[in-house]
Amino acid sequence: MRILLFALCLSFLVACAADDRAPVVLEDVVVTEPRPGANMSAGYLRISNNRGEPLAITRVESPQFGKIEIHETTTIDGVSRMRPIPALEVPPNGSVVLERGGLHLMLMRPIEDLSRVQLDFYAGDELLLSVDTEITAD
Amino acid sequence: MNKPVAIVLLVLAMLTGIGLALTLVAPPAPSLPQTATVLPEPAELPEFSLIDTSGSERSRALFRDDWHLLFFGFTHCPDICPMTLATLSSAQRELAESGESVPRIVLVSVDPERDTPEVLDEYIGHFGDGHIALTGPEPALRELTGPLHIYFNKVALEDGYTMDHSSVVLLVDPEGRFHSLFSGPHTVDNFVHDLPILMNLQAAVR
Repeated sequence: MRILLFALCLSFLVACAADDRAPVVLEDVVVTEPRPGANMSAGYLRISNNRGEPLAITRVESPQFGKIEIHETTTIDGVSRMRPIPALEVPPNGSVVLERGGLHLMLMRPIEDLSRVQLDFYAGDELLLSVDTEITAD
Repeated sequence: MNKPVAIVLLVLAMLTGIGLALTLVAPPAPSLPQTATVLPEPAELPEFSLIDTSGSERSRALFRDDWHLLFFGFTHCPDICPMTLATLSSAQRELAESGESVPRIVLVSVDPERDTPEVLDEYIGHFGDGHIALTGPEPALRELTGPLHIYFNKVALEDGYTMDHSSVVLLVDPEGRFHSLFSGPHTVDNFVHDLPILMNLQAAVR
């Protein structure tokens, strides 16, 4: 009986731990140093949606950049194309990875002090999460 | 087990052993490029006239006497263009460190509207020393890209425009001929592996 109780408690704890996950998790956030000349950066990260419903990130803002767009690069038959996309769609209990040569953030018009970069992720008008990161040199 | 069968097995085992030993000591087969495609015949680059970062006119004579890696892109491309240039620059450094000869890197910007010589100068210098960046009005660009089957196209966006462009990297030999191409995805290892082979291939042919 004791063992059974213990097992029950344990499974309850595990279940709680699983439910404790944050609804949205942003990881491996990288913002590249702005390239001289064009003066723009790229942003990469992994977005995990631990909720039971789809998530659409429609807007990303930063106090350090005048404008941020969500872009996708595709290379088909040797031709690279970069296009803005309206939203980052993350399936329920799934994740989306923004990485070089694919989905990425295009960060334009940087301010002078980029010692830290804050990124604010929105779903419509709702601020979902903010992350803070350092600039990465390549 | 009867005696003849045992003898046959023993002989087979010995032959297998000898075969294995031979493959171990045999000289390796001549290396072949892993990812690059070598043209059956190197093709002379077309005549062109473009502007470099100092504002000087450059023709195909630029490609004489050295190997060059030629790439087409634009600076308002935060993702794939800097990634390719960083890959080429890293490969160049790795080759130099291992004592191999290194090709020079040439970026041709297909976005002359935004990529003035000044902008290109700042941009290309960011990736390493000795890199070259060229551009020119669209018809001048087409003189180079057309015969090489390099695609580029201006595409209007809600906010400004972008450039679609071929992502290939061309290797040009010291006689100014299009020698081979890397179609991508581009990795440092691919270039570090293939470039010495490609450049020696040429030396052996000449």
